[in-house]
Parts: sequence; C-alpha cells; structure tokens
Amino acid sequence: MNFEYTKEEQNFRYEVREWLKETLPQSLSEKVKKYQRLSKQDYEIFMNNLSAKGWLAWHWPEEYGGTGWNAIQKHIFEEEIVNASAPRIVPFGVNMLGPVLIEFGSEEQKNYYLPRILNNQDWWAQGYSEPGAGSDLASLKTTAVDKGDHYLVNGQKTWTTLGHHADKIFCLVKTNTNVKPQLGISFLLIDMDSPGVEIKPIITLDGEHEVNEVWFTDVKVPKKNIVGKENEGWTYAKYLLTFERTGIAGVPNSKSALDHLKMVSRKSLKNGKPLIHDPVFSSEIAELEIDLLAMEIFNLRTVSAAADGKAPGMESSLLKIKGTLVRQKTTELLRKALGPQALPYLPEQFDEGWNEMPIGPEYAGPIAKQYFNMRKISIYGGSNEIQKNIVAKASLGL
Amino acid sequence: MDFSLSEERKMLQETVARFFVNNYKDIKKRSEHLAMNEGFSREFWKESADLGVISGLISPNFGGLGGSGEDISIIFELIGKSLCIEPFLSSGLLSTSILSSIEIPKTELINEIIDGELLISFAHMEMNNRYENHFVETKAFLEKDNWKINGNKSFVINGDSADKVIVSARINGEISDKSGIGLFLVDNSQIKKRSYNTIDGYRATELNFDNIKAELLCKDDLALECIVKANSAGALALSAEAVGIMQVCFDLTLDYLKTRNQFGKSIGAFQSIQHRMVDMMLEIEQVRSAVMLASSTFETNSSTRDKNVSAAKNLVGRVGKLIAEESIQLHGGIAMTWEYSVAHYAKRLIMIDHLMGDADYHRDRFKFLSTI
Repeated sequence: MNFEYTKEEQNFRYEVREWLKETLPQSLSEKVKKYQRLSKQDYEIFMNNLSAKGWLAWHWPEEYGGTGWNAIQKHIFEEEIVNASAPRIVPFGVNMLGPVLIEFGSEEQKNYYLPRILNNQDWWAQGYSEPGAGSDLASLKTTAVDKGDHYLVNGQKTWTTLGHHADKIFCLVKTNTNVKPQLGISFLLIDMDSPGVEIKPIITLDGEHEVNEVWFTDVKVPKKNIVGKENEGWTYAKYLLTFERTGIAGVPNSKSALDHLKMVSRKSLKNGKPLIHDPVFSSEIAELEIDLLAMEIFNLRTVSAAADGKAPGMESSLLKIKGTLVRQKTTELLRKALGPQALPYLPEQFDEGWNEMPIGPEYAGPIAKQYFNMRKISIYGGSNEIQKNIVAKASLGL
Repeated sequence: MDFSLSEERKMLQETVARFFVNNYKDIKKRSEHLAMNEGFSREFWKESADLGVISGLISPNFGGLGGSGEDISIIFELIGKSLCIEPFLSSGLLSTSILSSIEIPKTELINEIIDGELLISFAHMEMNNRYENHFVETKAFLEKDNWKINGNKSFVINGDSADKVIVSARINGEISDKSGIGLFLVDNSQIKKRSYNTIDGYRATELNFDNIKAELLCKDDLALECIVKANSAGALALSAEAVGIMQVCFDLTLDYLKTRNQFGKSIGAFQSIQHRMVDMMLEIEQVRSAVMLASSTFETNSSTRDKNVSAAKNLVGRVGKLIAEESIQLHGGIAMTWEYSVAHYAKRLIMIDHLMGDADYHRDRFKFLSTI
C-alpha cells in the first residue's frame, strides 16, 4: 500500500490547476466563492472551456470522447475543480444520461446525442421524481401511450433541478400499467419545447429557485426517442442512479468546507479568544476531520476497485450516506461557529454585482442559508433511508 | 408536588391560544406580517395588548397580570406554535424585565408597553461578543452632566421599529470586565441604523452610536444583574417557544407519515421511521420537562434560576437540531419548499440556538453553576 501521490499524479494535478488558473474567469470563481446565484451562462462558460479542452466527459470511455483517466486522476480533477471555486459541472447530460446512452442507447442515439452533450449543445434535465413517487420511484404515474409513430405523454415530474434552463429532459414513464411497477417503465428523451410541456418554479426553504415542476399534457414524443427497450427502463434508471450517487459523496466539497470551517473558527471569538482554541469546539472539528479523512480513503478504495466506466456496487450507497452526513456536519459547525452572526439574511447579497457592506464578516452571509439548503442532500438521489434499504437487502440479504 | 396549572393560568392559556389560532391561521399569514414595513403587524400587536397578552409577561407590581416564569412559558409556547413574529421578546419581555429591575422602576414606560403604545428594544449584543453577558465594548461617558454613548450594537431585534432602546455600555474597564457596565435608555430616533431580516423572518438592526445622549438606568453590579436576568428571561422564553415549535414539527411530521404512501403503505408503517418518531417524542418530553422546571424556579435565587434556565436552553439547542433536521428528513422533498410550513418552523427552531446563548454556552454555564 502506498497513499502518496506519484510524481505523475502530482504533475497531473499541477496541469489541471494551471489550466483552471488560465481559463476560469476570476469574476466567476468570485461568484462561486460568495455563493452568488449563477446564471445559465455562468455554467456554460466553464463547461464550454472543459469541452474545448476535451475534459468535460472526463469519466466516459475514450472512444466516446472521454479522457481515459484512471480513478486517481478523476479524484484529483474533482478536487481541483472545487479548489478553484469553479461552478459545478451540470451533471444531467454528461454524468447521468451520457453513461446510459453509451451502455444502452442505439447507434443513432449515440451518434446524435453524445457529441451534442460533449459540445454543450443540449442542456439536459432529469425527469425521475413525481409528487407521488419519491423514494418509491417505480410507482411513478406519468404515462406514455403508444400511438403508432409516437408516444403520447401525460403526467408530472418534480424536483427538476435547473429545469428552467433545460432544452431536453430524460424521463421515466409508464408504458405498461398492467404489470409489476418495475416491469412497465421506459426511458424516454423529450424536447422541452414540445407542445404540452409546462415548467413551474418551486421556491425552496431558502427562498431560492433551483428546482421545478414539469407538467406534460398530451405531449407527442417520437418513437425513436426511447432508450433501449420498451418496459426495460428501470434497469437503465438504476444504472444511472449509481452514477448519481458516487458524486454525492462530495469528498472535495467537504474538504474545502472543512478548511473554510477552520478559517471561520480562527476568526470567531469566544470569551475573547479564537473559537478554534475552545477545547469542545476544536474536538468537534477534529472528529469531523477524522470522519472525512477515513471517507476520502474509503472513496478512493471504491473508485479504484471499480473497473473504469463500470458502476460501483453497494459502496456507492454507503458513500452517499456518509458523504451527506459529513457534508451536513460541516455546514452545522460553520453555523455554530458564527454564533449570532448567523442570524442576518440579505437575499440581495447573492446577486451578481452586489457590493454593499455585509453585516458582520463577509464569510458569514451564506452560512445559515447553506446549512438549510444542504438538508436536501440526504433526501435527493435516493434518500439515506432508501440507501440503507438497498444495502440491507441487496448486500446483506436481510 | 403539583404539575398542573392553576385555574387562572389555564384560562390565560386558553384565551391566548384561541387568539393566536384565530390570527395566525397559517404560514401565509405570517408571511404577510413579516412583509409589513416594520416586519410585524401593528394591528395584531395592539390587539394582543388589548387582550392582555403583553401584560401576561409582566408582574402585577408593575401593572401587569402575570410575569412569572410559568406565565412567560405559557405565552411563549403559544408564540412558538403559531410562529408569531410580533415584538413579544424584545419589548414585551427583555425591556420590561430591565425596566422593572432597576432601583427606581420605570413603571410608566412599562405601562405604555403593556398598552401596546410603546416599543423598546434591548440592544446588548455586539458583533464579536458572542453570547457573553459581560462582554461590552460600546462606551458611555459623562459630558458635563449628560451621558453620551459611542459604539455599535448588533442583531438588535425590532431595533428599527422601537421608540427607545436600552443599551449596555461600558463606563470603565476592559471589554471583558464584569464591573463598569451601565444600562442606558436612548431615544431611538437619534441613532444611525441599518435594518435587515434574519433567516428565520425577524427584523434586526445594527445600531451605530456617535455621541448619542442617553439616560443612565443603572450601573455596575446592578446593571450586570439586570442583563443576566433579562437574558435568562429571554432564554426561558425562547426555550418555551422552542417547545411549541417542536410540538408543531412533530405533529406535522406524524400527520405526513400517516398520509404519505410509498411502496404500497404509509411511510409511517416502516419500523425504522417509527423508532425515530419515538426518539423525537421522548426528547421533546425531556425538553418540556426542563422548561417546566426552569419556569417554576424562575423566581428563586439567581443561581438556581440560571442553572435551570441553562439546562433548558442547552436541551433546546441539542433537541431543537434533532427535531428540525428529522422533521425535514422524514418529510422528504416537500419540507425543502417555501410553501410548506415545516421549513419555517425548522428555521426558527435552529436559529433559537443562536440567540441568548447556544447549547455550548449554556452547557458551560450549567457546568459552572452546578459545581460552585
């Protein structure tokens, strides 16, 4: 065993870091650092840069335009993106749909959609959850009825992240309602500008608009837009979710949040002394760091063990659970570290170009908001309860 | 021992409960109130006064109808249940606590507050003094025969709408000295201010004092005693408010678990969920018990009072986090929305731990008071 990065790996990290330094506009990384609202264009600037460099689909097989990086390189790349305060790579096309099309799509679909994903021509959204189908995703009700040359789609999707920017949406739909739920699901690609598609914002507890409802009323979808075989969409859906879950461990984000926590704890005062010298609080930080340290190795073990491009097994569920708890703990300790400075909430400070004096230290503004926002990560992508069910059933045979 | 409320208190509880339920029907009503100019409804405040809710927080010695720990808890638990944002804490409780504890109590001002005509906020916190009662940096000095104040106060709840503010300021000594603090009454119109909302919906203000004329209320030992007492009253009130909030969070979650179906049954049918609800219920009963103890011993000597208040507020911090987080998690996505009420309760519950001392502060204070 050797946990040191090799010379080559260190060189790779340096290459990524230098490239980010050259190409990522400072104004954009400033916005990310300040948790300001990102426009569609902000995401696109970064993703277009990655695309031009050939690094957007970094985890795809090389033959489809991937990078051929090994697991360690991928990990380094993710870390550097977070450290550079780049916007996140919008995952729905490149991280979620891409691997599904590569594995299950027709040649025609691969030839058409994959280059468009690589070039950022299409902004994809995810049409999985419905008001009545969250944890029990297979109980979804949106139907697609075979009308000869097209499907007629009716129903409603929800929690559609950044769907208001999307050109297309991949949806799980019912094509057979007379069988066990899992056996009647298909995976369908739908244009957002099709007649009958309507999108409505959902405002979250922090007052922000990130997620949406998407309504389908008699939407005609060409037959060729089905991925794989009719009624076998559940297999593809589950395949996609394992990719969604590995990202959720969020090791680089938690590492960066831990550094931030230490900085804030040095500046916050308790009894006139830096909070980081408080024996109880510093112990909490230390335990968080220990959890994170172990999880980073757990994550690396998992990604190294999984053959390139293949979905990992139950480890991704375990990592999702631990990863979200650790991430949430960082936001909790940040909030605690602030004391009463966590109270003020100026929604306008998250607008681009806001340059008034903050209330208290500049870092204080987003912290409470971020704590509440991060409650979502143990809910979405298959709640932590569902992950435990998966592990108990599939791995432990209980 | 007798754990039941007296007949008068039961009546107070019923009257106030009916009033809050009628006026704060849902979360939309609250949003209307906090969208108003002053961040709350003057009309509702006046009606509260007419009904005697404010006087319920004040002792008969100063023209009120209540004022005991039990009265405070009854009223604030109901405030929590309705998530009411009117200035009961700032004007109704903290300021009247100080105005009634000084050498010559300001009964007239207290009566104007009781009548809903006057608002006075307590400006004690500063940007970096965290939760400490005696950390005061703002300065007070005598110029000829007039007291003047220089410095900044932070997070002053309802600091924009108040007619006057009570300010803690240092007359002499270092920032962390326990002696040398004074409490002053200042006309709010003279003070430079910047107002904003807190993440749980309250209106708070940063106050900037630049040689502002002030009236001395008390100083040294008495001033610190007044601050400690007011903050203990505030911590008790917030703890009772938290009990009300926790109960609503629990009820909303329980209701949702019974009606939300997944996998062909209500999600409440899953044992792992059931056990978590039982844990929540148990912890809420623990908090309720600690708040009852703190209420009933509020009028005893200050070390018993503060020790029991700290026990309650520490539990509120710990259990509040559990209830807020579990209520959201057990609901799932719906609890992440602005439209559904549980998130607003959760936000207030969490932010209560950022006022009048958090769980760590009160654990430390309890530790100190229980080992002397």
